[in-house]
Amino acid sequence: MELTDAGLIARVLADDDQHAFGELVRRHQSSVRGLLRQLTRNDLALADDLAQDAFIRAFKNIRTFRGEAKFSTWLYRIAYNCFREDARRRKELVGINEEQWQAERDPHTVDPGLRHDLMHALSLLPLHERSAVLLCCQSGLSHDEASRVLDIPLGTVKTNVLRGREKLKKTLAAWAK
Amino acid sequence: MTMNEESQEDWLDRRLRDATPYIEDDGFTARVLRQLPMPQRTGQFLRPFILVGMSAFASALTYVLSDGGRFIVVEMFKLTTIPPLWVVAFALASGMLVMAGGIFAAMSKTAHIQP
Repeated sequence: MELTDAGLIARVLADDDQHAFGELVRRHQSSVRGLLRQLTRNDLALADDLAQDAFIRAFKNIRTFRGEAKFSTWLYRIAYNCFREDARRRKELVGINEEQWQAERDPHTVDPGLRHDLMHALSLLPLHERSAVLLCCQSGLSHDEASRVLDIPLGTVKTNVLRGREKLKKTLAAWAK
Repeated sequence: MTMNEESQEDWLDRRLRDATPYIEDDGFTARVLRQLPMPQRTGQFLRPFILVGMSAFASALTYVLSDGGRFIVVEMFKLTTIPPLWVVAFALASGMLVMAGGIFAAMSKTAHIQP
């Protein structure tokens, strides 16, 4: 019989059961690492480091999880915070910024294949639109859940998703026909 | 929203979901577990002392309340009068009950680690 996320969390809370937490990591590692790979523009090593950091933080703070949202939503929020803190640190260290990165990318040098085109189109979106589109359209979160993860108002999430979608549709117009 | 726009959004969502296949664990979980902090041991350290203390207190209370444990001598005397067949049946039933409890506990303890 497979335990639910709530059952596993109860075991972690009762006995600091690391095996139960391991099962939670196994269940959610793919979606968390997937989200971070997209946010870091497919920097696999950095995404995995951030995912590792996010799960360790989740374990340390699991007593603050009150079960009001889904466990996956709570995890996404931690992962997103890890990404944001790291991005801020990197920006301070080497002066990278979104606009500069986007300006360096030529939107016309698109690799063949829809997947590549899609990933490329996603990477061209500014961070706030990219994260909203990833959470709502790819990870299947509701706008409300995404607003909790991103810690921004619901209306802003809707606007960002709409704008991100429009840009993706424009870039991928040829594939949609 | 027109029909065409709606179907285009479905198309986009579907493609976005398909674009991120399942990522194999490849030792990721093990790496996370290795870095987890050690569990807090303060409660577990105190547990045996609490159990021994409570047992000693309960024993002393029972001894005082039962007139120096006189009832044990009386009950032991009564036991010697039970027919041997009853004793065998009682021992067998107790053994089976303990074994069933042990199996149930083992099954519930390992249920979450089954593949």
